[in-house]
Amino acid sequence: MTEPGASDGPVPAVQLAGIAKRFPGVVANHDVDVEIWPGTVHALVGENGAGKSTLMKILYGVQKPDEGMITVDGGAVTFSSPGDAIACGIGMVFQHFQLADNLTVLENVVLGAERRHGIGAGARREIMRISQVYGFDLDADELVETLGVGERQRVEILKVLYRGARIIILDEPTAVLVPQEVDALFANLRELKREGHTLVFISHKLDEVLAIADEITVLRRGTTVATVPPADVTPHDLAELMVGAELPSPSRGDSTVTDRTVLEVRGLRVEGPSGRVLLDDVDLVIRAGEVLGIAGVEGNGQTELVEAVIGMRPAAAGSVALGGTDVTRWGTRERRAAGVGYIPEDRQRHGLLLGFPLWENRMLGHQTRPPSANGVWLDPAGARADAARIVESYDVRTPGVDTSARSLSGGNQQKFIVGREMSGDPMLLVAAHPTRGVDVGAQAAIWDHIREARRRGLAVLLVSADLDELIGLSDTIRVVLRGRLGDEFDPQDVQPQQLGSAMTGAAADTRG
Amino acid sequence: MSLARRVLLGATAPVLAFAVAALVTTVVIVGAGASPGEFWQVLLSAPEARYYVSIVNSAAVLYLSGLAAAIGFRMNLFNIGVEGQYRVATFAGAVFAGWAVLPGPLNTVAAILVAMAAGAAWAGIAALLRVTRGVSEVISTIMLNAIALSLVAYLLQKVGSREGQTYVTDAIPRSAWVPSIPLIPGEISQVYGLALLALVAGVGFSVLLRRSRFGFDLRATGESESAAVASGVDVKRMVVWAMLLSGALAGLIGMPELFGASHAYGSTIQTGIGFTGIAVALLGRNNAWGIAFAAMVFAYLNQQASPLSIEADISTEIIAVTQGVVVLSVVIVYEVVRRYRVRLEQTEVARALRQQRKEQGVAA
Amino acid sequence: MRNPARLAAGVVASAALVLSGCASGGDDTSASDEETAASEDVCESADGDGPAIGLAYDVGGVGDQSFNDSAYAGLSRAVEELDATCAQAAAQAGENDADREERLRTLIDGGYDTIIGVGFVYSVAVYNVAPDFPEVYFGIIDGFNPTESQKDLPNVANIGFAANEGSFLVGAAAALTTESDNVGFIGGTNTPLIQAFEAGFNAGVEEVDPQIEIQSQYLSQDDPVKGFENPAGGETAATGMYENGADVIYHAAGKSGLGLFDAVVQAGEGNWAIGVDSDQYLTADPDQQPYILTSMLKRVDTGVFEFAQGVAEGNPPSGYVTYDLASGGVDYSTSNDALPTEVIEQVDQFKQQIIDDEIEVPSEL
Repeated sequence: MTEPGASDGPVPAVQLAGIAKRFPGVVANHDVDVEIWPGTVHALVGENGAGKSTLMKILYGVQKPDEGMITVDGGAVTFSSPGDAIACGIGMVFQHFQLADNLTVLENVVLGAERRHGIGAGARREIMRISQVYGFDLDADELVETLGVGERQRVEILKVLYRGARIIILDEPTAVLVPQEVDALFANLRELKREGHTLVFISHKLDEVLAIADEITVLRRGTTVATVPPADVTPHDLAELMVGAELPSPSRGDSTVTDRTVLEVRGLRVEGPSGRVLLDDVDLVIRAGEVLGIAGVEGNGQTELVEAVIGMRPAAAGSVALGGTDVTRWGTRERRAAGVGYIPEDRQRHGLLLGFPLWENRMLGHQTRPPSANGVWLDPAGARADAARIVESYDVRTPGVDTSARSLSGGNQQKFIVGREMSGDPMLLVAAHPTRGVDVGAQAAIWDHIREARRRGLAVLLVSADLDELIGLSDTIRVVLRGRLGDEFDPQDVQPQQLGSAMTGAAADTRG
Repeated sequence: MSLARRVLLGATAPVLAFAVAALVTTVVIVGAGASPGEFWQVLLSAPEARYYVSIVNSAAVLYLSGLAAAIGFRMNLFNIGVEGQYRVATFAGAVFAGWAVLPGPLNTVAAILVAMAAGAAWAGIAALLRVTRGVSEVISTIMLNAIALSLVAYLLQKVGSREGQTYVTDAIPRSAWVPSIPLIPGEISQVYGLALLALVAGVGFSVLLRRSRFGFDLRATGESESAAVASGVDVKRMVVWAMLLSGALAGLIGMPELFGASHAYGSTIQTGIGFTGIAVALLGRNNAWGIAFAAMVFAYLNQQASPLSIEADISTEIIAVTQGVVVLSVVIVYEVVRRYRVRLEQTEVARALRQQRKEQGVAA
Repeated sequence: MRNPARLAAGVVASAALVLSGCASGGDDTSASDEETAASEDVCESADGDGPAIGLAYDVGGVGDQSFNDSAYAGLSRAVEELDATCAQAAAQAGENDADREERLRTLIDGGYDTIIGVGFVYSVAVYNVAPDFPEVYFGIIDGFNPTESQKDLPNVANIGFAANEGSFLVGAAAALTTESDNVGFIGGTNTPLIQAFEAGFNAGVEEVDPQIEIQSQYLSQDDPVKGFENPAGGETAATGMYENGADVIYHAAGKSGLGLFDAVVQAGEGNWAIGVDSDQYLTADPDQQPYILTSMLKRVDTGVFEFAQGVAEGNPPSGYVTYDLASGGVDYSTSNDALPTEVIEQVDQFKQQIIDDEIEVPSEL
C-alpha cells in the first residue's frame, strides 16, 4: 500500500469509524469503516442502494451520522453543514452539475466563494493558475452553456479546488462521459493525485474503478464488506463482493411453469431522447407460473426494459404481446387494466402519492377497476376496505388507512405496494427490486407472496440486484449487459460467480 | 391522529394566518401614517343590510374565478390566463345572446354554453402550446391575456355600437334576462340569479375532484407526476382537459352580471377578476370550501374599501395590501402547519409500531 | 401544490398580479403627494353649511396632475366660495357598475346630497341609483344616458366638454410652432371620448397646414390602467414619435402624459409637449416647464363648481350640460412665455371663429 508520508507516522486523510445512519424504517449505513490515505485515489463501489450516497453526504456534511466518528488528518471533526466540510478541505463534485449556464466559467467558480480572491483580477489569476497546473484547459470568460460535458465537469472540479479542497469526492463522475472524456478525466485525476490531493471516487463501473483506484472499498447493504487493492482482484471478484456470494436463502419450491405464454417480447428496441440506443434486440417469453429474473449491473438497461414492458417508454422497434394480444401501441393504463401489476424501482417517485392517505394510494394504478372505481366514479368505500385488507394481510405497520403514505417506513411502504399490485389477480407482475431497502422480515414476507402468486399462475418479470433473490425466486435467469439480453441461466445450478462474470462482461471461462 | 386533534390543527392554520395578517396590516397602516384604530373599526363594523347582497354577488363571481384557477393548480398547472378567458368568453356569450337566435331561456342557456366553449377554446391554445411545443402555460397564458384584451376591445368596436363614451354589444333581449333573487326583502339590491352558477360549479368541482376517476388522476398528477405516469395517467391529455375545464369555468365568471345587470358587453366591463381569482384560489387552498371562504373574505374586504375612504379617509389601496398580506400569511402558515402535521403523524406511526412490537413481545 | 418551488412561484406571481392591479394610485412625484395631502385638508377642514358634496373618482384619483386634479380644484373652490362640505372616494381597480353604485350609496348614506361622478364610467351607476334618491343631485363628468328609453332624470346632469374644440386650438398652436412639419398625438384609450381629442387636434393642424404630418398612437384599446396610468408607456410612445421627426406632441392620456414630459426633456431644445385638462405648465417639474408649449384646458373644475353652485342656488342643472369654447369650459393656456405672441394671436382668431360658428370642429375621427 502507499505509505505517503508525514514524518510522525502515517495518518489517514480521512477516517470513518463505525458510522451508522438510520432513516425511519431503513438503516442506510451501519458499521462503516474506511481509511482513506492522503495522495491516493480511493474508490467506493456498491450497488445502488448499498449506502454509498448516504455515506458521502455524511462525509460532505449534508447529513449527520447517528453513530461513529469522522477524523480528518487525524483530528476528530463533526460537520453540521457542507460549509464545515469545505472548511476542513473537503470538496464534492456532484454527478449532476451545479452550474449556471448563462454565466461564465469565472462567475460560476467565484459564485458563493467571493471572499477567497474577490471577483476580479485576483480571482481570474487564481482560476488560470489552477487551470494550468492541472491541465484543465479552461477559458475563464467562456460561457458555461457553450462548454461540453467534460469541460463542465472540469469547471466543477475547479470550483472545488478554488475553495481550497484537498480531499475531493467525485460522485459517479464517469456516468455522464463518453470513453474519450473518461480518459481525459482520469488524466486530470492523476495530475491531482500527483499534486498531493486525495480523491474519493464513487462508481459502480468496475473496470473504471480498477483502472484508476489505489484502493477499493466495497459497500453492501449499508456496510463496508472489504477494502482491497486493485491488483489483487478481478472485476468478477468485485461483483461478487458487491452483490454477496452467500448461498441463496429463498427456496423456490417445485416448478409451476405452464406452457401458456403471458408476456412475449420480440426484437424490442428502446432509444433515449437523443436517439441513443438504451435497449436493443430484446427477445423474451414469460409463461404463466414462471418467474423470469433479470440480472445485471445497474444501468445496463433494466429500467428501460421494465418501463417498456409497462408502457411508460415507447418501443422504437419490436413488439410486446400480453396474453397473445399485441400491446405495443397501448398506453400504461390499458396495459395495467389488462392485468399487469407493477412494483416500481423507485417506490416514492413511481409507486406512491406520498401526501395522500393509504386508501387513496390503494387506487393508484388501479383507477379503472373495482374495488377502486365503478365506471367513471371512484369507490372510496371499496378502496378503504381493500386498503384495510392489504394492511392486514401484508402486515403493513400503520395506525390506519387514513395515514399518509409519507409517514410509513420504507419497508411498510413497499409491503403496501406489493399488496396493491398483487390485488385483482394480475396475469403479469413486473417487479423491480421488490425488496430493496426492506428489512429482513418484510423481505421474506414479500418473497412468500410472490411465490404464492406464482403458484396460482402469475407470470413475473423480476429485476433485482440481489443475486440471492434472483436465484431463489426465478425459474430462469437472464443477464442484461449494455442494453442486450444475454445468456440464460438455470438458477438450480448457477453459481453467483458465473452470474457476476456475465454481468460484468468478463470472460465467460468459468461458466460450466 | 384523533379526530379532535385533526379538527384543532385544521382550525389553527386559518386563525394563525389571519392573526399574522392583521398584525402585518396594522404595521403597514401605522407606517403609512393612518390610524389603525379607525381602520379596524371601519373594517370590522357590520355592513348595512344591502351590502350583504353586494358581498354575495361579488363573492359568487370571485368564487367562479377562484375555481377556474384552482382546477389547474390542483395538478400544478398555473393558468394565469383566467382573466383573458373570462373576457373572451363573456364577449362571445354577450354577442351570441344579443343575436337572439333562440327564444327566451333557451337563448340564456345556449349563450352560457357558448361562453364556456369560448373560455375553454382560449385556454385550449395554451394547453396545445404546452403539450405540443412544451411552452410553459404561465408564459403563454399571460401572453394570451394581453392578446385577449386587445382582441376583444377591437372586436367590440367592430360589432358593438356607441353609447355615450363607450361601445357596447347589442342588448340581450328581455326574455333572456335572468331575474334577480331578493335576498333581503325590501332592499333594492338583489342577488344575481346566475350567482347560483357558483353553487353549481362548487358542487361540481368538489364531486369531480373527490369522487371521479378524472379528479383522482388530476390530483395524482399534481401530487406526483411520475407516480401518475406510472399509474397510467396520460399527463398530456390531463393537461389539455384541465386547461379546457379551467377555461370553461372562467367562461362562467361574467355570466351573473351579464344576465343579471348589464345585459350587454361594454367597454366598462369589470376587469381583474381573473387575477383576483388566483389569489382567492391560493387563499382557499384550492378546495371548494376554502375557496368559498376566501371569496367571501375578498368580497367583504372589497366592500369595506368604500366606507374606509369615505368614513376613515384611508386610501382604498390599503385593502389591496391587506388582501395580499392575507394570502401570503395563509400560504406561509399553512406550509408550516403542514410540516408540523407530517412530523406529528410520523411520530404517531412510530409510536403505533413500538406498541405493536411490545404486544408481540408480550405474546411471545 | 406541494412542490415548494412551484408554490413559491405561484405565490409570488399571484401576489404580484394582485398588487399590480392596485398599485397604480398616488405613488408618483412629490407634487402628487402634496396634492393628496391637500385633498385631505380641504374636506377635513370644510364645515360650512353649503351643499354637501360627495366626489367619486375613477381609478387613480387625485394626483394625476390632470383630469382628476382638475375636478379636485373645482371641489376646493366650492368649499371656499359655497361653504360646501365634502367627501371624496376613489375607485379600486377591477370594479363593476354594482361596486360603483355601492360607492354612490355609501356617499349618500354619509349625508352627501350633491354627488359627482368623475368620469363616464359612473354613468350606468348614477342612472341606476338616481331614481331611488330624488332629493339628491347627481353630476357625471363626461357622462351619458345609458338607459334604453333615453329619458332624462330631473336630478341627473351629464357634464360634457367640447374637448374637440379645445384640441383644435392646441392643434393649431402645434401646427404654427412645428419646424419639422411633423406633430404627434398620444391617446390613453382608443375610445370615443379620447378620439374626440384627436379629431379636434387633427382639424386644428390641418386648418393651419394640411401638409403637416400627424403621428397618432393610443396606449391601449380600452384598458384604463394601461391607458391613463402608464407614464412608462407614454414615455416610450413619445420618444418614438420624437425620433420619427415630430417636434410637438399633444397627449390626452391622464397620468401617462407625465411620461411625455420626461420624453420631451430628453428630446431637448426645439421639441415641445402639449398638456391636457389642466394647465400642466403650472404643475410640471421646473426642468420640464420650458418644454410645455401650452395645455388644452378642459375646465372640469368649472364643471364641478358650477354644478355645485346650481344645486346651492336651488337651480340644479339636469340633462346634458356641455361646456364649450363659447362658455369657457374648454380653452388653451398661455402661461408659458415661450408661446410666441403671433401664435397666440392666430389661435385666438380661430377661437373666435369657432365661437362664431365659422369653423365647425369635428368630434369624431
